[in-house]
Amino acid sequence: MIPPAYAPDEARGLWVFLEQEGGQLEGVALELLGKGRELARARGILLTGLLLGHGVEAGARQAIAHGADHVVVAEDPLLAAYTTDAYTNVSARIILERKPETLLLGATPNGRDLAGRLAVRLRTGLTADCTGLAWEEGTGLLLGEVTGFGGGVMASIKCARHRPQMATVRPGIFPLPPSDPDHAGRIESVAVSLEAGEIRTQILERVRHAGVDITRASVIVAGGRGVKGDFGPVTELARLLGGEVGASRVACDLGWIGRDHQIGQTGFVTRPKVALVCGISGATQFSVGVKDAGLIVAINSDPEAPIFEEADVCVVDDLFPVLEALIAELKRRRP
Amino acid sequence: MSESASVCVLDDVAWQEVTAATMGAAAPCFQCGVCTAVCPWGLVQKEPVSIRRLIRMAQLRVDGWGEAIWLCTTCGLCEARCPRGVPVSEIILALRRLAWERRAAPKGLPTMLWAIHWDGNPWDQPPSQRQAWAKGLDLKPFAVGDDLLLYVGCTAAYDRRSQRIARSLVTLLRSAGVSFGILPDEPCCGESVRMVGQEAYLAELVEGNARRFKEAGVRTLVTVSPHCLDMFRTQYPSWDGFRPLHYTEYLAELLDGGRLSFARELPVTVTYHDPCYLGRRHGIYDPPRKLLAAIPGLTLVELPSSREDALCCGGGGGRMWLETHAGERFADLRVREAQGTGAEWLVTSCPFCILCLEDSAKVLGSEQLKVVDVTELAVRALGDGR
Amino acid sequence: MKPLGIIVCVKVVPKPEEVSVNPETRTLDRAKARSELNPPDMNAIEMALALRERYGGSVSLLSMGPPFAAPYLQVGLAMGADHAYLLSDRLFGGADTLPTSFALARGIQKIGEWDLVLCGEESSDGATGQVPAGIAEWLDCSQATYAMDLALLPDGRLRAEREIRGGHEVIAVSLPAVVSVKLGVNEPRFMDMELRRTAPAVTVWNASDLGVDPASLGFEGSPTVVGAVWQAKSPERRREFLDGTLQEKARLLAERIRALVSF
Repeated sequence: MIPPAYAPDEARGLWVFLEQEGGQLEGVALELLGKGRELARARGILLTGLLLGHGVEAGARQAIAHGADHVVVAEDPLLAAYTTDAYTNVSARIILERKPETLLLGATPNGRDLAGRLAVRLRTGLTADCTGLAWEEGTGLLLGEVTGFGGGVMASIKCARHRPQMATVRPGIFPLPPSDPDHAGRIESVAVSLEAGEIRTQILERVRHAGVDITRASVIVAGGRGVKGDFGPVTELARLLGGEVGASRVACDLGWIGRDHQIGQTGFVTRPKVALVCGISGATQFSVGVKDAGLIVAINSDPEAPIFEEADVCVVDDLFPVLEALIAELKRRRP
Repeated sequence: MSESASVCVLDDVAWQEVTAATMGAAAPCFQCGVCTAVCPWGLVQKEPVSIRRLIRMAQLRVDGWGEAIWLCTTCGLCEARCPRGVPVSEIILALRRLAWERRAAPKGLPTMLWAIHWDGNPWDQPPSQRQAWAKGLDLKPFAVGDDLLLYVGCTAAYDRRSQRIARSLVTLLRSAGVSFGILPDEPCCGESVRMVGQEAYLAELVEGNARRFKEAGVRTLVTVSPHCLDMFRTQYPSWDGFRPLHYTEYLAELLDGGRLSFARELPVTVTYHDPCYLGRRHGIYDPPRKLLAAIPGLTLVELPSSREDALCCGGGGGRMWLETHAGERFADLRVREAQGTGAEWLVTSCPFCILCLEDSAKVLGSEQLKVVDVTELAVRALGDGR
Repeated sequence: MKPLGIIVCVKVVPKPEEVSVNPETRTLDRAKARSELNPPDMNAIEMALALRERYGGSVSLLSMGPPFAAPYLQVGLAMGADHAYLLSDRLFGGADTLPTSFALARGIQKIGEWDLVLCGEESSDGATGQVPAGIAEWLDCSQATYAMDLALLPDGRLRAEREIRGGHEVIAVSLPAVVSVKLGVNEPRFMDMELRRTAPAVTVWNASDLGVDPASLGFEGSPTVVGAVWQAKSPERRREFLDGTLQEKARLLAERIRALVSF
């Protein structure tokens, strides 16, 4: 075995890495605090947030309001934006000193970039993209439920002898906890010893694409091959319902719409109240991304499309006339 | 593509490559331009594709044929009319092969080839689902002694619409008491590989497939698609007793032998679209018409262009894997022609034709005109409640 | 600009939809599954070949897996890679991402001269995406994950456009670097049959060739263990099929939607 950085009996507490952008916590960080609160309460342990950045006091308070008992804040101008070296070096130093038992991170691009690097630095195990987290009966080990092989196979994974037991979770897996401004917690600033020379990455340019976050949408209207390149009606319906536009991988592959809209195993996992799935046959690859939707409506001209086996409301008909009629109906009955 | 948009660049390497690739096939052309005049692209684009010019460039062994070589559906209409017998499609396929060497093949084609390599079909479908079309049919694997091997082909195996053709064919074969089987792990015949100009990869595929068919003891092989038929007839080595047939030919033989008959009257007027790879390529014009004529009550009216002159659906020559813009689809014209005949059903005998014609019928809002395969019509006429 | 030594880490994976869980033994049944090169790794190979065309240099493939992986590496050679190396040994089996990234890092060091390691963003079987960052850590070099485009800057650093949540960023990293390539950022070129015929043999190395402690490899070297495996099952859905005219269907649909969301 590869020797662990510290032993299980030295380890204490459940930590959540608080990814932030411009001082604001990412949604997935809040979701992890919500789940972390539940896990910490079950074992009577402390829930600690680890927050790296520059000018992040508001984020620390936000974390307390969302359930953290304690937030460890590392502030430095060199931490303002994420870079692998800066975040790995600072996180590793704090973790090796404080020895958390468990560390959860969001499976965003940067969260995964950090988690993969940190796990090797700490010589520990990392369970990726968990769809569920629980304590194992008896041992109290973290059980991460993961999917593999395109979502067809599930497994539970644990890390017995290495600490921290690390796991990443995709945005949208756990619900957003309510904010409680009266929740008490301690914010602790730690000294950062970080040299510019440690950082081998220079950020030249950052572009945030405006508006699209399908993981938070309460309504998603998704289009696939069946829209034949025309996302017009799908977009209009989404706008009418106050939702977002989703897409199958094929639609993204064909360049009909950006990857930010892609639902599924290789895209985003969503949890809308309503998902309207238009012209998508429903391969497993796609359906894992909407399986937690409150209501799935499928519109497809092929009565044998597998999507109908996974839908609550099924419409076997040509897509565009149905969308047109539905849009007309929604506009007509609009209060 | 306008003629002036093409740039001619004479260079020695191109000269040699084009000569080698076309093996001098363009030499007999005397530039009369009949090919350009009859090319169906002239019906849907302002400027026709200048086949004449492409052939001239191949003769002169110059580069610069551009995108035009990828438009050709290999329908063979120009070849049928060419006074000099120039094998235009072969020259186009050779130029496509050169385009690969220059990394100038259109987007999407490598992905289709990878799908054949990894999945054994160009539709990017899981190999484990190859037999899904036959669900509930209880088909047997082919065994020596069977009357024939049913070669379903990728499109009829995976495409939901085309699966109905294969299922109908099974019903017809069974009603005639034919013993047949399918190949578990049926391989892709390689038609799409050939059409996009990947001759070397095709050779690898064909070699492996032919060995499998031969070792399995296949003699009579019946295809659903005329495109697969063309492959087995022209690209595969022959062996003792190997007899590839299109299902229309085989069913017509069954009719002649009295094993297949249609008892139920179908009082409908239909028109028949000749698939290029059945008609012009292999001269199979009569067997499908014979099947239709054997259905009691059925009236066949011919399309304005039929048999040797039939207009292509647009799906051949690898065009299934390339986008054809709305308004440029030959099938739109074909559906309008069919509407003009007053027929209720547009009948054909090729999965690609069915897909293209049905798409056009949908887009044109042609509610009355149904696009069906010969097998689907024939099953209705069996008259024993099936 | 000096030529680039590029190593592409690839994995042979079973086609995801063909793997199932045997309900009796509760283990993975891969027997019927066909294998393929992990799709994002194909994008990584294409990116490597495009970089070699632009800057010169060489492309080597590196994989860890059973001996049957070798013909799959030959596919990469037929695409144009110069060399292929396969780490194959029972001792590598059952590895999670820690020993996997360790063995690959040792393989990279054994290959020798290199400037850039490319990996697919994740494998379609395990889908962790952890290995590229792990390799970078073992090699103590810079990393760029989820890259969509790569180029060399005049100062010799690597310019990478990479995905971030809700957008993208352009970064410059020093070489050597490990990069993970986003699925679908390019269209992998098809094999060249001439190269397929003339491709060199795959070099196979076992654990002792790497000169590493077997205890840090494979199942033995993995901090994580798989507790249970089961087939994913989607929750039962109502499957209510709407009938009637378009307008009636639309009205029923609107009703079902309004019951759950206000807008």
